Amino acid sequence: MKKLNVLVACGAGIATSTVVMKKVEDLFAENNIDANLIQIKIAEAASKQDDADMLISTTVLPTEYRIPAIKAMGFLTGIGADKLKDEILTKVHEIQAQ
Amino acid sequence: MSDNLVEVSDYLREPLILLNTAFKTSKELFTAINATALENGFVTDQFLPKIIKREATFPTGLQLEHRGIAIPHTDADTIKQEFVAVVVNDEPIVFSRMDDPEQTVGAKLVFVLGLNQPHAQLDMLQALMSIIQDDTLVNSLEHADNTDQIHELLSK
Repeated sequence: MKKLNVLVACGAGIATSTVVMKKVEDLFAENNIDANLIQIKIAEAASKQDDADMLISTTVLPTEYRIPAIKAMGFLTGIGADKLKDEILTKVHEIQAQ
Repeated sequence: MSDNLVEVSDYLREPLILLNTAFKTSKELFTAINATALENGFVTDQFLPKIIKREATFPTGLQLEHRGIAIPHTDADTIKQEFVAVVVNDEPIVFSRMDDPEQTVGAKLVFVLGLNQPHAQLDMLQALMSIIQDDTLVNSLEHADNTDQIHELLSK
């Protein structure tokens, strides 16, 4: 199975993405998903997307991306966190099936 | 939360706990935090312009189940000494939502995060997210009478 490259972004690349990184790491570990997680500022996403399979972000997405992009606010507020996990896993499985 | 080695209270700085304030806008709040933080050498002179700009571009309002809160923060290079400032305003202050700037939340409780090590504060940030997900605790914070109570509530 291909190793995924996943961008984890927030506005400054410092606070909320740190929390989301950990949540995604745990989620991937629990589900035996092999992935590199790369913490970035959202402004860097457009230039880094060519080397990545997926973007997970806590901010509004300032532009359209060629890779799947998921907003991960649920990891911060707890609201809809389970649904968010399902959404990420579904997307990962879609990418792996390609 | 008690499993965390680092607690949010470790990041509290006495002059940066502001209770019963009457700020009308986030800018007023940032101006007050900046004045105290500058005076104490916690931030550079770029902190205020950068946090205002950052909040306008990437807002930090979070809609919780029963209320809004906000966690404004900005670039690491404006922070000389790390802190978490706590503001409890008498009336909700309007913040745009992190996930949708077209929508706003009203936040009485605001945590201004002064952080300068991108990966080092995971424990503190996780503790903070656990705190905001605890409605009873957030309610207690909003009704705290003094800074000791804030310390105590954020040590859990």
